[in-house]
Amino acid sequence: MANNFDTLLTAAPGSVVTLEPDYIVVNDGVSYLAAVEAKSVANPDKVLVFFDHNVPTGDPEGARVFGVIRDFAKKFGCRFIQAQGVAYQYMFKEVVLPGQVVVGGGSHSAIFGANGALGFNVSPLELARVLETGKYQLIVPHTVIFRVEGKLKDGVSMMDAALTLLKNSKCVPGSIVKFVAPALSAHEKSVLCSMACGTGAVTALCVEEGDTDRVLDLSTVEPMAVLPCEVRSAQHMAEIRPVAELAGTHVTAGQIGGFTGGTIEDLRVAANIIKGKKLARGFRLTICPATSADYIAACEEGLLELFIDYGAQISAAGDHSVVRQGAGVIGKGETLVTTGLYTYNGCMGVADSKVYTTSVETVACASFTRTL
Amino acid sequence: MDKIFSGKVWTFGNDIDTDTIIPGKRGTIPTIEEMKKYAFELLKPEFGSTVQPGDILIAGTNFGCGSSREQAATVLSHNGVRCIIAKSFARIFFRNAFNSGILLLTCDGIQDVVTGGDIVTVDVDNHTVSANGQTFTVGAVPENLFNIVANGGLIADTRRRLAEGVQPSEPHELDYTARRKKGFTMAEKLLRKNAGVDEVKPGDIVITHPDMFMIHDIYTPYLLDTLEQIGADKIADPDKVTIIFDHCMPTAVAKNDSAHYDAGLELSRRYGIKKLHIGEGICHSIMHEEKYAKPGCIATATDSHTTTYGGAGNFCSGIGTAEMAAALITGELWFKVPEAIKIVLNGHLPDGVLSKDVILKILGDIKADGGQYKSLEFTGPAAHEMSMMARFTVANMALEAGAKCGLFEADEKTAAYYGMPLEEIDWVCVDDDAHYEKVLTYDVSELEPQLSCPQGVDNVHPLHEVLGTPIDEVYLGSCTNGSIEDLAVAAEIMKGKHVPDTMRFIVVPATNRVFKEAIKRGYIKTFIEAGAVICHPCCGLCCGMPYGLMYDDERILSTANRNFIGRQGTKKTLSYLCSPAVAAATALAGVVSDPRTL
Repeated sequence: MANNFDTLLTAAPGSVVTLEPDYIVVNDGVSYLAAVEAKSVANPDKVLVFFDHNVPTGDPEGARVFGVIRDFAKKFGCRFIQAQGVAYQYMFKEVVLPGQVVVGGGSHSAIFGANGALGFNVSPLELARVLETGKYQLIVPHTVIFRVEGKLKDGVSMMDAALTLLKNSKCVPGSIVKFVAPALSAHEKSVLCSMACGTGAVTALCVEEGDTDRVLDLSTVEPMAVLPCEVRSAQHMAEIRPVAELAGTHVTAGQIGGFTGGTIEDLRVAANIIKGKKLARGFRLTICPATSADYIAACEEGLLELFIDYGAQISAAGDHSVVRQGAGVIGKGETLVTTGLYTYNGCMGVADSKVYTTSVETVACASFTRTL
Repeated sequence: MDKIFSGKVWTFGNDIDTDTIIPGKRGTIPTIEEMKKYAFELLKPEFGSTVQPGDILIAGTNFGCGSSREQAATVLSHNGVRCIIAKSFARIFFRNAFNSGILLLTCDGIQDVVTGGDIVTVDVDNHTVSANGQTFTVGAVPENLFNIVANGGLIADTRRRLAEGVQPSEPHELDYTARRKKGFTMAEKLLRKNAGVDEVKPGDIVITHPDMFMIHDIYTPYLLDTLEQIGADKIADPDKVTIIFDHCMPTAVAKNDSAHYDAGLELSRRYGIKKLHIGEGICHSIMHEEKYAKPGCIATATDSHTTTYGGAGNFCSGIGTAEMAAALITGELWFKVPEAIKIVLNGHLPDGVLSKDVILKILGDIKADGGQYKSLEFTGPAAHEMSMMARFTVANMALEAGAKCGLFEADEKTAAYYGMPLEEIDWVCVDDDAHYEKVLTYDVSELEPQLSCPQGVDNVHPLHEVLGTPIDEVYLGSCTNGSIEDLAVAAEIMKGKHVPDTMRFIVVPATNRVFKEAIKRGYIKTFIEAGAVICHPCCGLCCGMPYGLMYDDERILSTANRNFIGRQGTKKTLSYLCSPAVAAATALAGVVSDPRTL
């Protein structure tokens, strides 16, 4: 509903608007609780239920959750989608159109801003209400505009730019962030938008033009890393530092995957870096294609074969940013460097382990140096 | 150890498998002291907390069947169990228990007169056990095995030998002419060739020098620990040793797996073991792919499905960690020459019926203990018609009948697969004048697809009895049916089709080589387009790792080799085994379906 989209962008900041989302997304991550809470579904046609996190199920609990959301979808006549990879990326590539509004229960819903659409992250309880009413009410945020200028240096990626933005711009909470970034590729836009809510923004959007003093100068961006943090609730406050300041940090495992590392564009970058190199003895590299389409493309372009010969472990397409039990987890005293989105203790294994988030480039290099 | 002793009784039924003794998911807890608390946790939850040193277990037939995990014996030993009395024991457990310092006695009768908590008295020299005023005879225990128990187990025994300066002995194999002597079963031929013994008969103990030892990552920490306990600073021949990371790689169980990974690397470094395969696929498939386990030779490994390479006429059987440690140091391994059963396969397999169906049919007929400590030897035109991969499938699952090994004759296909001249290996064949305990004959032309149903490998039913059963998840993979031929069968059925939206369909190629070939041939694309999730080559869900674990009352159908309770999910998960053809047909339909009528 284009009207929804325009309503929000034209209404006065501070006023209240009620949107009718084009898509309401439930998955087996945190937001599966919405499927438990919701007593009815107003518009089943607009609801997509994804099983995309615990793939394949790493514990009987994962299978139980599969059953819960499968039965929810069946009961209310919603579409159930599994084995397609990360829902965000699948929707970004296959489903969402410019001008649409998407409401889901994930902190990277702003990814659809790269499509010229708006994605919102709500709590499971609120998601249940949106499912029941088909409506999402919010106070119109103010807008903060960044002009994206310059060109990334070699070995630096849009993920580094996004992390630079997060480090420098914790001053935009509650806003809609707009990026004036006509020169970026769709994939680069998706990385920037999906990470933007780490600034505290409500959502993000790429636009063709806009007046602003705020500039994200890509030419000055250096490789960046999100440092380990204590608990999930403190993730947004995790320290971000240039990789150069962490140089020499010993790492035992790496993961390249998700919508910030597992797309075909990312996999090409990773393949280029490791080609001709030798996986360090004692380093475990996991590659997780973002979607099934990315997986097939990586097969057909010969990338998977290159990764396999390199000694990487190829995970199922899916969202593997947080893994309780399943391929790629790390053990006591180990350090993982990942393109995944979380670095809190235990997000990828035991509590007594460390996780850093970086770009594909940084992970790929670590796989033959064993250091950041 | 006293020759006369008494203890309080715990009673058990028949077919207590090693998953029941210690569940697979507990099997990777890094220390035995922690692991031992979970002994019998599903069957007798109170066992771990209340068992007392000196307690005696009394069970029915086939105690310790299933997985070869040595921890089944060591957790009991560490819980203070020094004696188990049963009607019969599974063979790997038999070895492992003695090696852990537990005396095993076979007795049929005492089971009827005791209940848990009674006191039983054992008299080793008089071969008797008595309880509640009744006395029964038990089987004799060979002196060398009693000594291992008396010395506190194989580790202590080997430490003693090492302190006495034991040197690895030189192998003396039979020459070309001697190994072609007729009148022997294939197991006898392979053992006598390696051991350099002209005459052998079932029951003899022969000392072999295995041509290849394989260690997989489930056991790396325990093996490293055991070698340290023994005080070994070198092993007999590192070039005869292969280490394969496949159960815990990719690392998936966070609190355990990295320790197995680290220990594997350390074993390789410390003992100069260069054959190292990290996350390249399932050990048993790599063993024949890399030609480590050759026809006419002997291989051993820390895993029960080591019987796989019998498909190539290799004598191969699983052993425990303590035994592996001792054998690596000395280069020697004793085997009891097994009785043999000849299985003649006549006719031609119909379309849609595969070698998996043949072995499932046999398992259903002879049951989980029907091949107890025996060599199953396959011959007949249908055996020779089978491809090498098809033979490996059959040999792999021979273990599920309790067999010591499952052997196929070496023929042109074997020679071609290994790039060896046929005349070098053609003596690995069934002799007409050999003594077989029993001969089973099948006409495979009449066979229909078979399924092993919940909850036991030998609960086998023909497909038509199971058709239409709803299935939640289908798993295509494992060392039983994860080869390129297996994927080809499934891909052909699935091309251009899609599984139901709610069907979880998981494909795990057996090895990297299979994976890459499947990518090249487009099978991976076919599976993904059909709605599959692809995982990296590894043991995966087959051994209960987190690659599709199931919830209560869900049904899984898989091409793997075991459907023990709790192995693929909770103890209420229902597990079926079948061929890749039935798996593909079922995945597409969502209910058990017939690949022959698609």
